[in-house]
Amino acid sequence: MIAQLPIVSMVMLLGMALIIPLFKRRNFSVTTSLGFVVLLAVWVLTLLVLWHVRVEGPMTYRFGNYEAFLGIELYIDLFAVLFVFFILSLIMVIYVYSTGDATEGVAEKEYGRYYILLFILLFAMLGIIYTNDLFNTYVFMEILSITTVSIISIKRKKENYTASFRYVMLNEIGSLSYLFGVALLYMVTGYTNIGLVAESIGQHWTAYPANATTAIGFMVVGVGIKSAVFPFHVWLPDAHSTAPSSSSAILSAIVVKVYILIMIKVLFRVFGLSVLDVIPVSTLLIAVAATGMIMGSMFAMAQTDIKRMLGYSSVAQVGYIVMGIGLISVLGLQAALFHVVSHALMKAALFLSVGAIIYKKKIRKVSEFNGMGFEMPVAMVVFTIAALGMIGVPMTTGFISKLNLGLAALDGGQAVLVFVLIVSGFLNALYYLPIIINAFLKDNPSQIRVMRVEKIPKTMLGPLVVLGALIVYFGLFPGVLIRVLEAVAASLL
Amino acid sequence: MNDIIVKTVARILIPFIQLYGIFIMLHGHVSPGGGFAGGAMIGTSFVLYTLVFGIDKSKKKFSERVSEYAESGGILLYIALGLIGIIMAGSFLTNIDAGFPKGTPGSMFSGGMIPLLMIGIGIKVASTFITLFHTLIEEEEA
Amino acid sequence: MSALLESVLDHINYLGAMALFVIGLHTVVTHSNLIKKIMGINIMGTAVFLFFVAIGNVTDGVPPIITGEDVIYINPLPSVLILTGIVVVVSITVYSLSLVVRIYETHGTVDQKEIARLNDEEAGL
Repeated sequence: MIAQLPIVSMVMLLGMALIIPLFKRRNFSVTTSLGFVVLLAVWVLTLLVLWHVRVEGPMTYRFGNYEAFLGIELYIDLFAVLFVFFILSLIMVIYVYSTGDATEGVAEKEYGRYYILLFILLFAMLGIIYTNDLFNTYVFMEILSITTVSIISIKRKKENYTASFRYVMLNEIGSLSYLFGVALLYMVTGYTNIGLVAESIGQHWTAYPANATTAIGFMVVGVGIKSAVFPFHVWLPDAHSTAPSSSSAILSAIVVKVYILIMIKVLFRVFGLSVLDVIPVSTLLIAVAATGMIMGSMFAMAQTDIKRMLGYSSVAQVGYIVMGIGLISVLGLQAALFHVVSHALMKAALFLSVGAIIYKKKIRKVSEFNGMGFEMPVAMVVFTIAALGMIGVPMTTGFISKLNLGLAALDGGQAVLVFVLIVSGFLNALYYLPIIINAFLKDNPSQIRVMRVEKIPKTMLGPLVVLGALIVYFGLFPGVLIRVLEAVAASLL
Repeated sequence: MNDIIVKTVARILIPFIQLYGIFIMLHGHVSPGGGFAGGAMIGTSFVLYTLVFGIDKSKKKFSERVSEYAESGGILLYIALGLIGIIMAGSFLTNIDAGFPKGTPGSMFSGGMIPLLMIGIGIKVASTFITLFHTLIEEEEA
Repeated sequence: MSALLESVLDHINYLGAMALFVIGLHTVVTHSNLIKKIMGINIMGTAVFLFFVAIGNVTDGVPPIITGEDVIYINPLPSVLILTGIVVVVSITVYSLSLVVRIYETHGTVDQKEIARLNDEEAGL
């Protein structure tokens, strides 16, 4: 019975997306509440699966009872179900926020469409994480790209169209590179099933080294473009800054991370350590990651638009995660996975608090945030917590993930990376701290100096507080999460 | 287009195009074709209807509301068939094991639920074709 | 020399796919016309599909329809996968074309350099 739950939850999400158009002419709140009920149900089901997998170990689900080499499979292990659970939890928080503000710049009759896209997006992400088939991953990746780009272009503005076009072009190059890699793998192994490919790659790898090397190159570059690893990041700041705030949070915190999870799957589950030891993937990944960590922060400092600044900050943070993966050790992978979680929490909090300020004050310039701490205290405090996390101040998740990354780098004998981490942290401080200081200590000259606390809807306030609390909680008590992620990392390697 | 010849020919042709579309849709499992190709043909027949008789008449035949139901309904049919597999045989989209009749290979009623799946895909593809075409025409006029 | 020629002829599908992939990539990256970029994506897609289908080919193979005779079948799975791939690339093409229509409506041009210049002017004002 438990084995059916992953597919049932995927079907529920897809079904929800399908029935929204059927009653969109009725009262819109019906749609949003039903959507929340569906999300909650899926969340509970995933919690059951998580508990089951933790006790009983991974399970394989075969569609239509076909053999593995004929049919398609879902592979539900701790890695998959843990991240699905995390994504669903975060989406629920953002969903509650978006009922207050889906809406920034979206026409009222498009609300329904926004939620259709959101549920298909979720369905595709679950599919990517659960599936055990390389070609299925490609198809789900394309569903994810199309829904993402539709969400970006749902605001009918000039810059949204150009940003989405650039997004489509670069992501399509990424997808096709990935598919080319799949073709090269299929050529030598004759399977697209991840488990069977991994079994046979060991013997074919020595006979056809060129194929395997090219395949790993194409696949990692393809997924790298889609997850905005440094030299391929050009699409991200535009795309993420023009989208509505709640979807910027989803795109930056979750969608980019899903592609990184694919990269982890490709590197460790498909190829495995025996191949990675021979091909210098590790060196290359660490090199681009370190460059990205510095350059992303440099670009972020030059921005005047706050959402673009957050976008460039994501580029730098993706560098941290890729660095952890590139170390190819249990410690490094565990630190990378921890940073996936911690960056998702922090970036969601940043985008949502900025979204609340944009929603109320209609400002986007960094310089206009002066004195904002008096006018919108809650949003600004959450922004501060998350920004401190980005810098890596103790008592936040950001500190723990940087500590883990540093330890993993030392463990791997790459002491220079610790230096890069520290420099990148300083650069983060250089562009986050002025905003915080100005917001709380400087007066806004255009405002009269009165304590005017502007109220924002409770549905927007609640998620902000939850995210801020989670950042501090995992910063103080990271033990459980780290132990689970260590088990996940050990199972992948 | 107010040409009597075009109108008459279209009126005669459209039922046959649709019939052929259904034929292709239902024979997807024994011959080339299937839900996508058949659905595209049915969609094309409506495109022809719109071109000849105009968007207003076409909207009466296939309104936005209908297309919404058809687009969601096509996939919901597919999902429902998949769920039957879960209930009857313990796996999503199970075909013969879930009790769908096998039939004689090569005849139309064979292949278990595949013709039914093809109907779902056909509905979805046809309605998508029509909706896209109507949207394009309306944007042009607006 | 003839050995080289023979090897080229044997792998003509793979070489063609590689060449098309590079041509497509070049078109996407270097051309500033948005329509040409979409064409480049399509060429890249075709290259991957050609490669995938070429893998499934077996010398002297016949289409896999069981007739009872003792023959070698070609591998049908890549063709089936590519059918899905084609649909995906078509939908991406349609989506990007509709975006180009919008961009033309708002900017009055489909040239990327021109669009960048317009955006810069707007930011300068």
